[in-house]
Amino acid sequence: MNWTEWMELFVLALYFCGAVLHIASVLVRKPAIQQTGRILIIIGFGLHSLDIVMTMIGVGSQIFGQGPFYFSLLAWTLIIVYLVLSWHLRMHFLGLTATPMALIIFSFATTLNTVEVTLPRSLLGLWFGLHIGSLFLSICLLAMAASSGAVYLFLENKIKGKSKITGLSRDLPSLALFDKVNAWAVNIGFPLFTIGLLSGFLWAHLTWERFFSWDPKELAAIIVWLLFALLFHQRLVNGWRGRKPAKLAIWIFGLSLVSMLGINFFLETHHSFQP
Amino acid sequence: MKQRICLLGLSHRTAGIEVRERFALADPHPREQGLITGHSPVREALVLSTCNRVEIVAAGRTDKDLSPLIRDYWVRLCGAQPDELIPYTYEHHDLEAVAHLFSVASSLDSMILGEPQILGQLKQSYRRSVEQGTAGVVLNRLLHKAFSVAKRVRTETRVASNAVSISFAAVELAKRIFGNLENQTAMLVGAGEMAELAATHLLSAGVKRMLIANRTHSRGCELAERIRGQAVPFSELFQHMAEADIIISSTGATQTVIRKRDIQGIMKKRRGRSMFFIDIAVPRDVDPDVNALDNVFLYDIDDLKEVVEENLSQRKSEANKARVIVAEETDKFAAWMRSLDLKPTILDLLSKGENLGRKELKKTLRRLGPKAEDPEVAQALEVLVFSLAHKLYHQPLDFLKRRAQEEDAGPRYIDITRRMFNLDNDPPTPDAHPERKTPGCRGRKPS
Repeated sequence: MNWTEWMELFVLALYFCGAVLHIASVLVRKPAIQQTGRILIIIGFGLHSLDIVMTMIGVGSQIFGQGPFYFSLLAWTLIIVYLVLSWHLRMHFLGLTATPMALIIFSFATTLNTVEVTLPRSLLGLWFGLHIGSLFLSICLLAMAASSGAVYLFLENKIKGKSKITGLSRDLPSLALFDKVNAWAVNIGFPLFTIGLLSGFLWAHLTWERFFSWDPKELAAIIVWLLFALLFHQRLVNGWRGRKPAKLAIWIFGLSLVSMLGINFFLETHHSFQP
Repeated sequence: MKQRICLLGLSHRTAGIEVRERFALADPHPREQGLITGHSPVREALVLSTCNRVEIVAAGRTDKDLSPLIRDYWVRLCGAQPDELIPYTYEHHDLEAVAHLFSVASSLDSMILGEPQILGQLKQSYRRSVEQGTAGVVLNRLLHKAFSVAKRVRTETRVASNAVSISFAAVELAKRIFGNLENQTAMLVGAGEMAELAATHLLSAGVKRMLIANRTHSRGCELAERIRGQAVPFSELFQHMAEADIIISSTGATQTVIRKRDIQGIMKKRRGRSMFFIDIAVPRDVDPDVNALDNVFLYDIDDLKEVVEENLSQRKSEANKARVIVAEETDKFAAWMRSLDLKPTILDLLSKGENLGRKELKKTLRRLGPKAEDPEVAQALEVLVFSLAHKLYHQPLDFLKRRAQEEDAGPRYIDITRRMFNLDNDPPTPDAHPERKTPGCRGRKPS
């Protein structure tokens, strides 16, 4: 094992401890534990950033042809989205979903070592960076919106149904805060998703000289974009709040998850991770 | 003679309101009013008098029971006969009294379990007895411990969490929906007494603006002035309701005042921002179907009562945890009480010196290396260390023994010695002990 692998293992361990502490703090209802968990995650994130930079320098442009790199990048994006959101909204609750998710994604990155694809040289353009960067950011925002949407639905159901709010749900933040996460994800996530999609098409045009190739992933992306546009429109124009946007966000995230994992691994597509 | 603590009291559990009023002690001064005198064994006293309880705690070194002295003092102040008081009071001695005071401070004995006022009232009583010079070694320690027990109970159990009144429950629910209430507007529909109470709770929770719509406009204006709200005409109720996030309805109307389709229109105007209706009127003012609308929440008086009952039963189950804490702390206090006798303190002090000596001896022997193997050197060193320790403590011990002969000074000097040499291994406390603020022996009066 070389030193980058050691570093990745170390980051994985930090993320693991961070995620465990986040979950434990909710179970035993001690916010101080979460504080420690967050510090571990932040240290892990710093090392992770260093790892990404070092790998990019070490491996060079070939890195963009390696599947694991994308998983690592996605986990990294998820952590930064979580850190920014939780800092901005003072809502540390998000860590409960973000940290285990990042852990799982990052563990893919460290175990999936065999996958390698050769990509056209033109990959290295600005469009490709824009495509990956904005889509990853918007998917991570969607993940946050979906998880806070699920909790919103759960808590709203309790308040509306006048059932007892006991145990763990007593420590939940207010409904308004959960809806704010949704607003953030939609107001920032949708424009980013649009940029990601357009730059992808543009890049496809430059590389393969066609905008659209009926690739299953492209189709799925269009459907997700349409739903996302609906959510964006309803929130902004018709003042959707609470239940409906929460539900829709969950659907959109579910669909993008299917398109990301299902299609990338099992279907014939030029987004494939298969060799 | 033994250090005794005696507590005599009556509370909402043992006496009705008339009795509590009759035996309340508005301005007690145990020293000037003859509870602590040169002849009385009572050396320290504290009087707690609130609307729900009157309790007198006294401490002194004696073989006799202190309770008749306290009772005489009490009835004399109230101009009554002992027989009038006896059926309503309870009496606790020594550790029982300690445990009782800890429970009172932690609000385990309060009418509303976990209410916070009693601790403040106890602090006030203690401050008064410090000012009057009636708190000495025992009561100082006892009350400081009582305050820290109350704090422990508050942080380690949920005995004081969760609202146990209708209006607090409403405020808590509003916080669950809106989070911070600082940017919210509330509206009172109907200016009843109950609505006013809820309004004051909402205002103290930080609500930004308060609108009041009452059928009799002048009454609405009156209330608006009192709580610094803004009265609006009842005929414009629904125009203004669009600005309100929290609506408390309490009109005397016999029919529904706020219907579902009114709110549907308002929600459009509000662009979906949440609304919380609190309907405390009987018969109800708000159509129950309103709750089915998106982002609209409706609680009526029965719903809120259920929340309150649930919270109360939770407090009760938490109280058991709190009682364990009280029992633990009472045990610790018992250990301290025992140490106020001279003998354990002498032993503690000597063994502390010997322990220190032993530690230093070990270090020195190690440093000496091969030289220490000579048994004569080692023995000489040992003799040196122990005799030094004993001789250093000889005079303080002699002084303590002599002071212990004096009636009140004994425990005081023993306590100081224990603190000076940290014989109880207490962590250092940053807050100044009240005794330190005013010098002189306050537990004693020249006889």
